[in-house]
Amino acid sequence: MMGAVRVRRAIVALVAVAVLYGIAAQIGRGRLPDRIWMGAHYVDNVKLLPTWQQLAEEGAYLVESEILLDSVVVSTRRVAIGLVLGSVAGILLGLLTGWASRIESLADPWVTFFRFAPALALLPLYVVWFGYGETSKVLLIATNVAVITLLGAHQGVRGVPRVYLDAAASLGAGRWLRFRKIVLPAAFPSIFGSVRIAVGLAWVTIVVAELIDARMPSLGYLLALSGTYPRVPTMLIALATVGALVLVFDLLALLLHARATRWMGRTA
Amino acid sequence: MARRSLLWIVSLAALIFAYMLVARAISRPDIVPPAEDIAGAFAALVGRGQQSPASDMPGMDMPAHHHHSSDQVDTLLQEGVTLQASLAVTTARVLFGLIVGLPLGMLMGLLMGWSRRADDYLHPIYVLVRSVPPLSLITYIMLWLGHSEAHRLIPIVYAVAVTAVIPTYHGVRDVAGKYVVAARSLGARGRLLLAKVVLPAAAPAMLGGLRYSVAIAWMTAVGAEMLMAENGMGNLLVGGGMWSSRLQMRSDPAVIIVGILVLAGAGWAMDLAARAWSARLTRWAR
Repeated sequence: MMGAVRVRRAIVALVAVAVLYGIAAQIGRGRLPDRIWMGAHYVDNVKLLPTWQQLAEEGAYLVESEILLDSVVVSTRRVAIGLVLGSVAGILLGLLTGWASRIESLADPWVTFFRFAPALALLPLYVVWFGYGETSKVLLIATNVAVITLLGAHQGVRGVPRVYLDAAASLGAGRWLRFRKIVLPAAFPSIFGSVRIAVGLAWVTIVVAELIDARMPSLGYLLALSGTYPRVPTMLIALATVGALVLVFDLLALLLHARATRWMGRTA
Repeated sequence: MARRSLLWIVSLAALIFAYMLVARAISRPDIVPPAEDIAGAFAALVGRGQQSPASDMPGMDMPAHHHHSSDQVDTLLQEGVTLQASLAVTTARVLFGLIVGLPLGMLMGLLMGWSRRADDYLHPIYVLVRSVPPLSLITYIMLWLGHSEAHRLIPIVYAVAVTAVIPTYHGVRDVAGKYVVAARSLGARGRLLLAKVVLPAAAPAMLGGLRYSVAIAWMTAVGAEMLMAENGMGNLLVGGGMWSSRLQMRSDPAVIIVGILVLAGAGWAMDLAARAWSARLTRWAR
């Protein structure tokens, strides 16, 4: 019963936002300035708040010309590869530093450093090292993802109650068995929580990386291009597409989390 | 504890030493600058190094000097950019983002955590808003508000606010929930309930989220400055110049490494401050 009310309210809220936007766009048409100073020159015919109709026309064009699809594919590929590389490396390292306390002390300063270096600051360095193009972008995502998942895995291992381990040890479980049967499952919620954060960060990273080096068809490129000409409908559609992709990735991460913690007998 | 800090120092020294060995082995100062170059860039950027003569032939490849000098350092010095001024500007932006963004996000989280009805209506909108990366809004904000400070600050505020919602929401709904039931049954309501029960109970969660917000604020500030700003650490990292020419970013790794080290240090210091501050505020919990 409660679920139906929630769904209805969610629909009401979203429809209300859409309608309000439509009204604002209709009022704004003709009233908002359409001649805009762009730092060095004026640009004409800027629609600051495009109407739904203009958005639909632009969307249809972007879909038909396959610009949007190409951009989505390129950006998604980068994010996916970076996520996989980064989370595998980060989780393995995090499990290691959490489980072997001697390594922890050794790795601690490095981790602290990477943790507080703002993720995007590495981009110019990676451009110098790996050039423009795929490698530097994918590695930038991978680094950021690795730092977050490392911390998640580390804290997950550290948070395992000592009692569990002692109990298992007193029953004769070896080190590897304890790791596999106790530490790993108990660390899962923390690990997948960090993966979910990392997914959001990966998209932030790629959009900025693509904005700074805007050449290949990609969502950041679409945003940069629509900003240069200013073509607001394109820009808003690109923004909405990025948002939708973040949402989809977040849902996937949530599903993964729910699956991995199913043994806990509660919804994640 | 002593053993731990000893290992810390050993590891740090090993890291620096390993870096120096790698830099020597590769011997490409334009890609992996030796430690002297990094120290030289640092000295030049804080204004202590010998002023390197402005390159008479811009664009021509200068042979490597024994003291560190590069196009990027020269450009930055000519523009009057110093490390401390850049850091101050970025810190100011981060603080502005936190001061404006945190109350906004916490208010939203409070509202959603407090009222089931508000949660039902606002949560779907929040999820949509949260999904849009703050920095991707930068050009759209610029169209609305012109080339100004606004399009650097708004993404930071936005990022901080969006990050602050969830910890507050969970703090109010999950942690404070049981105290609220108890306090209600004792007759507390309204202002009293909010000030004496909900906020203190939710405070640890809210302040735990503060650390995330600080990290996100730094990242967004640097990103915004890399994209569109004439000052700040992001500008220093990409080597100054007009933002429209940053597509041809060709940076000096020594400067970038100095910038990253300084940013990491500043982020760490602010995280320590946030932790100390939240520990003070939630002393009652221990």
